[in-house]
Amino acid sequence: MIRGEAEVRRNSDAQPAAARSAYIHVPFCRHRCGYCNFTLIANRGDLVGNYLRALEQELSWLESPRTIDTLFIGGGTPTQLEPAELARLLEIVSRWFPAAAGAEISLEANPSDISSEKLRVLRDQGVNRLSLGVQSFDAAKLKFLERDHDARIVRRNAQRALESGFILAIDLIFGVPEETPSIWRRDLEAALQLQPQHLSTYGLTWEKGTSFWSRRMRGELIPMGEEAEASCYELAIDQLVEAGLQHYEVSNFARPTFACRHNQAYWNGRPYFAAGPGATRFVGGRRETNHRSVTTYLHRVLAGHSPAFESEQLGAEDAARERMVFGLRQIEGIERHRFHLETGFSLEYLGGAALETFVAHRLLQWQEQYLRLTRAGLLVSDSIWGHFLRR
Amino acid sequence: MTIDCKHIRNFCIIAHIDHGKSTLADRLIEATGTVQKRELKEQMLDDMELERQRGITIKARAVRMEYECQGETYELNLIDTPGHVDFHYEVSRSLMCCEGALLLVDAFQGVEAQTVANAFAAMDARLTILPVINKIDLKHARVDEVTAEMEHTLAIDPGEVLKVSAKAGLGVRELLDAIVQRVPAPTGDPEATLQAMVFDSHYDDYRGAIIYVRLMNGKVEKGDKIRLISTATTHEVLELGQFVPHQRPCDSLQAGQVGYLICNIKSLDLVNVGDTVTIPGDRGAAALSGFKIPKRMVYCGLYPSDGQDFEELRDALEKLHINDPSFEFEPETSEALGFGFRCGFLGLLHMEIVQQRLEQESDVDLVQTAPNVTYEVLTREGRLMEIHRPQEVPDSGAIEEFRQPIVRVSLIMPSESIGTVMKLCNDRRGVQQSIEHLSPTRAMLVYDLPLAEVIYDLHDKLKSATRGYGTMDYDLIGYSPADLVRMDILVNGNRVDALSIICDRRDADRRGRAIVKKLKSEIERHMFEVAVQAAIGSRIIARETVPAMRKNVTAKCYGGDITRKRKLWAKQREGKKRMKSIGQVDIPQKAFLAVLETGDEKA
Ligand SMILES: Nc1nc2c(ncn2[C@@H]2O[C@H](COP(=O)(O)OP(=O)(O)O)[C@@H](O)[C@H]2O)c(=O)[nH]1
Ligand code: SF4
Repeated sequence: MIRGEAEVRRNSDAQPAAARSAYIHVPFCRHRCGYCNFTLIANRGDLVGNYLRALEQELSWLESPRTIDTLFIGGGTPTQLEPAELARLLEIVSRWFPAAAGAEISLEANPSDISSEKLRVLRDQGVNRLSLGVQSFDAAKLKFLERDHDARIVRRNAQRALESGFILAIDLIFGVPEETPSIWRRDLEAALQLQPQHLSTYGLTWEKGTSFWSRRMRGELIPMGEEAEASCYELAIDQLVEAGLQHYEVSNFARPTFACRHNQAYWNGRPYFAAGPGATRFVGGRRETNHRSVTTYLHRVLAGHSPAFESEQLGAEDAARERMVFGLRQIEGIERHRFHLETGFSLEYLGGAALETFVAHRLLQWQEQYLRLTRAGLLVSDSIWGHFLRR
Repeated sequence: MTIDCKHIRNFCIIAHIDHGKSTLADRLIEATGTVQKRELKEQMLDDMELERQRGITIKARAVRMEYECQGETYELNLIDTPGHVDFHYEVSRSLMCCEGALLLVDAFQGVEAQTVANAFAAMDARLTILPVINKIDLKHARVDEVTAEMEHTLAIDPGEVLKVSAKAGLGVRELLDAIVQRVPAPTGDPEATLQAMVFDSHYDDYRGAIIYVRLMNGKVEKGDKIRLISTATTHEVLELGQFVPHQRPCDSLQAGQVGYLICNIKSLDLVNVGDTVTIPGDRGAAALSGFKIPKRMVYCGLYPSDGQDFEELRDALEKLHINDPSFEFEPETSEALGFGFRCGFLGLLHMEIVQQRLEQESDVDLVQTAPNVTYEVLTREGRLMEIHRPQEVPDSGAIEEFRQPIVRVSLIMPSESIGTVMKLCNDRRGVQQSIEHLSPTRAMLVYDLPLAEVIYDLHDKLKSATRGYGTMDYDLIGYSPADLVRMDILVNGNRVDALSIICDRRDADRRGRAIVKKLKSEIERHMFEVAVQAAIGSRIIARETVPAMRKNVTAKCYGGDITRKRKLWAKQREGKKRMKSIGQVDIPQKAFLAVLETGDEKA
């Protein structure tokens, strides 16, 4: 069933919803890890004051406070900030983004930065979810990743966070050169032992511009092979699901009701505000990204100029296509009627002949009214998406 | 100004590649004062860029020189001949325009395959041969041995051999004197009806066709009306002249002379090499013998890799065709490749030349299918079909006889390689005709071989079997029946028409295996398994599987990533679009040449 655009468009509800999510980027780290290409400035704690002023300035351009259901403070390393700075940050942010009842307020934390004092500040300011950048429990792997913590610190601080009432989310990385399946299995086990509500497993990605990338180009680093990476990934899925977590997105697992609502907002095409260097907002169908250079961001904002650096207005069809792709990256898949109703396009129309082929090859499947990835499709899903997107 | 035939000498130089033909031509031009030394571009006659790159002379050229000998002034016309086998016909026409040929042999390399082929062609055309050994300045020159080789193979009288160094300019005067003294003067009658041989042409964007002629009889003047016999068209001569070596107009040309005619002809299609120029009406001269339309022996499909470029490719082909009517093209469609053209060439080198020009002169990105020779099929109903592409082969039940072109190949090599070269030819179903020892260290083998075997890789194989010392040349001798089959390639069960080939039944298994193996290595892994099979009719004879890719999934995707990821994925897909997609399998362009894989153990 393939319908023309004209026909399906009638079903569209054209009113863009108001944004109920916000992202704040905190661009500070002690050191830039070899694989990291995030927006940040390493070892420049001296800029925090300016940053807080700029952030306040940028947020003031919202003109009125916006109540939100999810807030995510990421980085960089927000926990790099001193307790007083952290308190100031949260105070500014909550002034402009007051939380609705039951809101999910997440903050990214570096295991070695956590102190009882900082935890108290966070709690007091309403943060209720800590996303802990654990990456591994293996000393050699952590060293390779250039991280400054060890398994002991992780255990102690994860414990503390849980005891203080935070929802605990743990990030792990796999696919590091020379990593063996048993190292990865032990990482998964160690993470499960901490009983987090949420777990993300990320395959190491090689990004242009990072030192890992240049070392790889020079032949000094050899990525884990495709086969081994696939096994690690499958191992994670099997082991975590076995332990009672739900696999709800390509790399995300959670106990029932603990899926990250903030990320789901991204993936479901909902609008969101954002502030801070390199941060991306999606408001009124327009996606806009702030300048990625921290110093440029600071200069511009403090001089009263918009920090926006690039932007694109998504047409209805492109927005629908994106939603299809990011919807399918969620394991539950997409409910066809709801999708049609909300985007104005049918999955069949957007998927075209390619969709039929993928279904025939059992990479995607229809289950009741849901279109979803099969396990085989999940593993190679990046090769699927290009067929559904336009440049 | 009229000139008596006895003051004209028309000659050509025949030589194996690199034996110094171009260098010698330059020396002659220089020694006769035709061109001052500083004006001489290196190698005057080889003026096309491509020829330069490949170091070969592709098309004939001509130059008129003036030389004084014993108080008399002579007009010497050097007609250059292409050296490569693809242009045998052109060579034969050029030879008809000459009375003498310099047979040039490298003092170190000695007699080579092309030396022999060209020398025999010149003798057949009854030219007076002036044997010349070049490069006598070389430290390792072996003048006596080479003289003996010439005597053995070509029955050259050692006493007649001239010795020169084109590079150092040694013996050039003596050579010029010998040309005047030994090459016979042309014998035409200036008073008879105009009869001239077209031996070459080229296209000038402003002036149209430039027709290269040798006058056999009669004369032609500016303003005359002339007729081209093969196309039965009449034209007015707007300009005529000689090559010195640039075009220099004159008032008339007469029997025995060589020059050019410009008649405002806007397509080279009308100007066929070997055609005869005469006067209009029924009192014209007879056509000169030997004219034929050269047969295209090698065909391949050329497709734009982006279907949008079809018209652009057509324009580019048309433009090239104006300059080189000896290749032909017609639109064809392939299920796999879409709209493109079937192109016919004189030979493999000719094909390469045309392709290179296409690439240089247009922006169209090309997909080329593997070349095949022209086959003949005699059907049960007694109809004779010419087969230019494998898809045209009828069902085996409808075939009475399947025929393929056979060539006679002469191969010259160091004696110690005879065994290897014989094996090479036998493996390719060659039939030995003769074996001859040119000298204690060199031998010549003559084999009859299917042209298809020759064009694929015989030359490369010969070179590697003889550590570069072997040379070969060949000549089409006719068609003969063979046990041929069409082999198809299936990708995930879909027949890919552009990958079908015609081959000997006995080779089918070996080649089928080699081709699917090659394809397996060319086709990237997909999200699903890809089966590549070779089949004859419905029988599968070989199979390989490209395993499905194991993992391709980006882990993290936060809000700021969405645009970047979308662009990345869409771009990756775009990249794949440049490939040809058959039943969802993306096949890279160079895979269409995989069918050249022969499956030899020693590849
Ligand atoms: N030593 C030496 N080299 C020569 C002589 N004549 C030509 N060559 C070299 O031989 C090579 C081939 O010459 P060329 O005229 O291009 O050969 P063609 O392929 O027959 O036209 C070039 O490198 C020339 O410089 C000669 O008399 N002596
Ligand atoms: S701590 Fe995280 S954000 Fe900071 S450099 Fe390392 S990977 Fe990047």
